[in-house]
Amino acid sequence: MKVRKTSSGMASGRRAEPKRLLAGEERILTKEECDAIARRIFAFARGGGETQVQIGSWTSGELRWARNRVSLGSERRDVQIEIHRLVPDKGSGQAATNQFDDESLEAAVRSAERNAAAEHRPMRPTPGLPPHPIATWPKTAIWSDSSYNLTAETRGEIARAVIDPAEAKGYLSAGYIETHAGTTMRASSERPTGPYADVDVPYSKWTQAQCSMTVRDEQGSGSGWAGHSSYDWQSIDPTTLGARAIQKCEASRNPVVLEPGRYTVILEAQAVANLMQIIVASMGRVDAESGAGPWALAVDDALHIGPQSVWRTKLGLKVIDERITIDHDPFDPRLGILPDPWMEPVTFFDKGVLTNLGYNRDYAITYLDKNAPRRGMTGYRMSGGTTTIDEMIASTQRGLLVTRFSDIRNLDGGSLLSTGLTRDGLWLIEHGKISKAVKNLRFTESPLFVLNSIEQLGVPVPVFRPVRNQYEQGSPLTPAIVPPLKARDFSFTSTIDAI
Amino acid sequence: MSITRRTLLQSGLKVGAVAAAVAALPRPLLAQLGSTLEPLPPIEDPNLKSLAARALDAARGAGASYADVRLTHDRVRTFGINSHIDDVESMLVGVRALVNGYWGFASSPVWTPDEMARLAREAVHQAKTNALGKSRAVDLAPTPVIADGHWEMPVAIDPFETSPFEINDFLESLSFHLDRTPNTRLLANTAGAVVQERAFASTAGSYCTQRCHRIEGAFQFERQLERGQRGGFALECLTPAGMGWELYAADRIPRVRDHTIYEEIDRALEELKEDLLMPVKPVEVGRYAAVFDPLTVANIVDETLGRATELDRALGYEANAGGTSYLNDPSTMLGSYQAGASSLNVTAERSEPGAVGTVKWDDEGVAPDAFTLVKDGVLADFQTTRESARWLEAAYTKHGLSVRSHGCAAAPSAVYAQLQHTPNLTLAPGRDAKDFGILVSGMERGIAVKSGQVDLDFQHSSGLGGGRLYEVKQGKRVARLAGGFLFRATDLWKSLQALGGEEGLRRYGMKISKGEPTQEYHHSVTAPAAMVKDLTIIDPLRKA
Repeated sequence: MKVRKTSSGMASGRRAEPKRLLAGEERILTKEECDAIARRIFAFARGGGETQVQIGSWTSGELRWARNRVSLGSERRDVQIEIHRLVPDKGSGQAATNQFDDESLEAAVRSAERNAAAEHRPMRPTPGLPPHPIATWPKTAIWSDSSYNLTAETRGEIARAVIDPAEAKGYLSAGYIETHAGTTMRASSERPTGPYADVDVPYSKWTQAQCSMTVRDEQGSGSGWAGHSSYDWQSIDPTTLGARAIQKCEASRNPVVLEPGRYTVILEAQAVANLMQIIVASMGRVDAESGAGPWALAVDDALHIGPQSVWRTKLGLKVIDERITIDHDPFDPRLGILPDPWMEPVTFFDKGVLTNLGYNRDYAITYLDKNAPRRGMTGYRMSGGTTTIDEMIASTQRGLLVTRFSDIRNLDGGSLLSTGLTRDGLWLIEHGKISKAVKNLRFTESPLFVLNSIEQLGVPVPVFRPVRNQYEQGSPLTPAIVPPLKARDFSFTSTIDAI
Repeated sequence: MSITRRTLLQSGLKVGAVAAAVAALPRPLLAQLGSTLEPLPPIEDPNLKSLAARALDAARGAGASYADVRLTHDRVRTFGINSHIDDVESMLVGVRALVNGYWGFASSPVWTPDEMARLAREAVHQAKTNALGKSRAVDLAPTPVIADGHWEMPVAIDPFETSPFEINDFLESLSFHLDRTPNTRLLANTAGAVVQERAFASTAGSYCTQRCHRIEGAFQFERQLERGQRGGFALECLTPAGMGWELYAADRIPRVRDHTIYEEIDRALEELKEDLLMPVKPVEVGRYAAVFDPLTVANIVDETLGRATELDRALGYEANAGGTSYLNDPSTMLGSYQAGASSLNVTAERSEPGAVGTVKWDDEGVAPDAFTLVKDGVLADFQTTRESARWLEAAYTKHGLSVRSHGCAAAPSAVYAQLQHTPNLTLAPGRDAKDFGILVSGMERGIAVKSGQVDLDFQHSSGLGGGRLYEVKQGKRVARLAGGFLFRATDLWKSLQALGGEEGLRRYGMKISKGEPTQEYHHSVTAPAAMVKDLTIIDPLRKA
């Protein structure tokens, strides 16, 4: 290879990688490419210490439509290379780039070292903590060729097939199809583990697909929605989704105002997942032991360890309906969990009893004599029953059927009291039948209250839970498998205008 | 040898030169403009124009009737606790093509001539694939061709030409300043700066380059008083702005803060203390006259009028995402819909110095104009792009307005396609020299709201508000209230009684997400304090 002189005058003994990666048919980085990039970065480090590199790439095929016509079809891709330099007696510094030629990588390493120098806090290995255990890496299968290979042509055909029936009825269809693939890896120069090391993450790749649509009538007097997401495009049935969105649009037209109050509600699975998100965010053990959140146990005699009070928690107590078990199985591909060093099945609620809360490794070593963290409730499966929604409706004297919720906000951390809006289909049930479409309502209710007021449960199903941001390097999905359910005394506090 | 401040000082450089040396370390980011890699030139370098031209030629050659290409080079630097600095740099390119009324887009991180051509062919391929369906008409409103324009957002102190040591020291000095007051605890002290260089080229013959800055910060603390009253506060003068490090370092910034940042911390500590000494009362649900501070008004304007006048949203293009708008018949409503009291005037622009949505040209090569969204309470216009301006052609003609884009096409970087995003907004002040304090003192009985935030439904009509609520009696804030408020956008603006004056105008940077896939963009909202009558006050924690 020729030795190039850069225009800054430095004779470069290294090859300047031409911009070949990711240009052309290749949409994501391969393992070999990531390893080569990592090796080059390690070679550029100066000043000793350790270098950690996290390399991610993603590609996305997208198709968006509105008013019955496709508004944009795209194919996009990007890379992120994060470099972390831990320099003894200086500090830790970070820099990231999305360019993978030698000069850009070296500049990023220098940048990280400069940032390490700026930190006033010398970096030393945390005393007393044992090194990370060597991880064994299970094979996870959240890659689907059918997702990765879905072409723009196929997306176009699907969109047209979904739009046509809506347009034929005089409705306006808007929607979105996306197939996304990503890779991630993390390596450190002091393999397998050095004194500062965080554990390497082997090269992993995943796919995610989503399809959703909203059908409204021209006057905006009705709106229906349906959607699904999965790592595997073949789990998504756009035709069924399209038909459901049209049916909900038709059935929701010209809603009447209903007095707010407490109602028996039948929540479709999507609505249950929307509410559960509030609980997902609350599952930290340290919070509970500091007296915060819903899982702290208020007893008069808090335990004192040193100057801090350590609250007892509700671990081991029954907190929700005994028909509910919520668990996480990292090997269930529907949960889309990327490999990490501490993959283990966890049960969070076992027949209504709170059994696990998440914590980090420092906490585990200090309080639990255990050299591994426990994940929180991202990616979970909730148990259910066998009652169908039709059966739930038939057995309801007076209640409301909810498609989904939108704009949910937590109002109170201790009770998880939250507020939010119904959306895309709300119907009054009277004497076992759907009687009329109702204007959307704002609720003020706690998901914990709902899980303690359950009357009937349906079969759990995966729901629409797509990734928010291409740059999420960790698990891109927080999918959920939840049942539809009927609960009593759900509190709706005001009517809203939005349809 | 690693470079530290100590080693540079030891080598005999003086302090100022140390800073310059550290900041000016070589950054040989490379681009392949021709056949070899060479250091990335500044964005105004003419060689980049020929790189962009490769994309346009390939797009035309593949059958596009219109195409544009954007190249963006971003540097992001964030400052955290313990002097932690994070640097992120990225180069991105995106090509958009129009074929038979259908748009296609392709983007990647690779700046080479071959990649320009590949992206262009892919964008055309995406467009053609969808043009197989039913016909769709896209008629771009005209815009003057830009012949090699270049613009740089003026900043007083470029954070990327300033030593990060200096910036860290400044941030630490804020912590030390807080520490002088006993029983305080720092919760957050961070700052982030972005500089984006972008090039735009279109098959219409336009070419322009810009260098834009954005900076924001967070400074939050907690304070405890003698009797155990405890509360937290955040400085409100650090919202996103189109400026440099002067956001922190300047003695005063018109419309943002009237004092140095140290004085702002002192004032915040004092205000928090006053709050904590006030009794807390449960709300008495009912309807009251209310005075909002400028931040509350800015948030309400943004959500009820900023979102609602996005023309794509109003016509259903966000229906599957963020929702729609209560202004759901734009052609008929333009010029006739009573959006508020006759004292309500809202204008939009992308030229205010220091505002975060300010540019010289938007991401379609349009020079944004100043336009009126609400005039004397009546809806006057919508936010538009070249494509969407045509959707209002009949209404524009009827009202004697020209059919042109208002310059609202934007995307956070070239890897995203352009969407219509909100420009800077201003709610015009009242004629009297009133501010929040004066409006409150003129109220016999009512509610005052500071630092209010609002949540609107997905049609941006019904809202739930919260923030710091106070009971006002005989012109004084006498108690804090644990409550919130409910409102309807148009009803609220119709009940406008008074507006604060020019002196009390305040500008805040907002970050909004829209689109599928979602993308975020920033704009500023400038507003005075305001008084409304009959605000519905509720207890938001009360169940049915």
